Amino acid sequence: MASQVFKRGPVKAEMNITPLIDVVFLLIVFFMLVNKIVSDESVPMRVPVLDNPQTREVGEVERVVVNVAPARGNRQGDPLEGEGNAQFVQVGASLRFDPEDLGGITAAVASAKATAEAGGASGVEVILRADSALFYDTVQPVLDAVTEAGVETVHLTAFLPDDGGVGEPLGAGGGASGGGGG
Amino acid sequence: MAQVADPIQRRLQPKRTRKPEKGSMNLNLTSMIDVIFLLLVYFVVTASFVEDEGVITARLPQREGESQQTDTTPPPTQPLRITLASTGSHDVRLSVPGAPPVRGFSELGVVLDGLMDDPERGKRGLFESTHPVLIVPDGQVRWQHVVNAFNAAVGARFSNVRFVPVEEGGR
Repeated sequence: MASQVFKRGPVKAEMNITPLIDVVFLLIVFFMLVNKIVSDESVPMRVPVLDNPQTREVGEVERVVVNVAPARGNRQGDPLEGEGNAQFVQVGASLRFDPEDLGGITAAVASAKATAEAGGASGVEVILRADSALFYDTVQPVLDAVTEAGVETVHLTAFLPDDGGVGEPLGAGGGASGGGGG
Repeated sequence: MAQVADPIQRRLQPKRTRKPEKGSMNLNLTSMIDVIFLLLVYFVVTASFVEDEGVITARLPQREGESQQTDTTPPPTQPLRITLASTGSHDVRLSVPGAPPVRGFSELGVVLDGLMDDPERGKRGLFESTHPVLIVPDGQVRWQHVVNAFNAAVGARFSNVRFVPVEEGGR
C-alpha cells in the first residue's frame, strides 16, 4: 500500500503568476489609454521646422490643444508643398470646427477655460498646433478667436532643437548668459 | 486490473492516463502570457514615437472678451516691423526697416540681435528688448515662415512680439 505522504506523487513546484498577469494587464491598459489621449489631442500634421529654434518643452500646465489641421497631415517630402487652407480646427481631443466658424472656436476655448477655472486653475494656456504649410490668413483668425476667449498665453508649436529645448520662455526677462541669434 | 506488487514491474507497465484529480484543474497560461507580452512591447515601443514637438510662448493681448482686431488704440511707439512677403512659391522675402536685405531666418536673428539695445550684455542698438515688434506677413505666407520670424525675434530677446491682424497685413 502506498504511503499516505506521497499519495499524489512527488511535489510539483509551480510559480504563482497571477500577480504578474495583473500588473501586465494594468500596464497594457495604461499604455492604451495614454496612446489614445495623446493621439486624439494631436492631429497628424507637419509642424514648423525652425532655424536656431527657441522652442522648449511645455511644462505641467492647465492646457487646451488647438489644432489647425491641413488637408493632408501625413504627407511626405517638403512640408511646404502642402495645401495652404485648413481642413478643420480641433479644440481639445474631440471638438471639431470649420475653420470659418471662429465663434464656435472661441466658445469652445472659453468653455474649456471655464471648466479649468471651476476646477481651481488660474486659467488655461493654449497650445496652438498649426501645419507649416498653412497660409497666415488661415491661422491668424484662429489665433484671434483663441485670444478673444480671454486666453492670455498661447504657445506656438514647432519642432524642438536636436539637443532638447533650451530657449527661455518669452517674457522671462533678460540677464541670462548666452547670445541670441547665431 | 491487478496491481503489480514489484515496483520495477510496475514501472515497466504502460502508464494509464491520469484522471484529473478533484480541485486541481490547471489552465495553461503560457500562450496568453506570450500574447500579453507582445502587446505590452508593442505599446511600449509605439508610445515612444510621439514626435519631439516644443513650443514658443506668445503673450497676446490680455483683454477679456475682446479681439486683437478691435484693439484700435495706437501703440505708444512705432513698432519694429518685420515684413514677410510671399514670393509666389513656398519661399518668402524678409525685410526689416533700416536694415540691409535679409536672406533667411538665421540672418534675421542676427540682424534683430544687432538692433537690440541691451547695456547689460554690452550691446548698443536702436531698440530696447521691450520695444514692440510687429510681424507683418502677407496672407499667403506659410505658417512655417511666420513662426520662424517669431522665433528669430524671441531668439534676439525681444519680449513684446505681436502678429499683425490679417486685415492690416492683408493680401
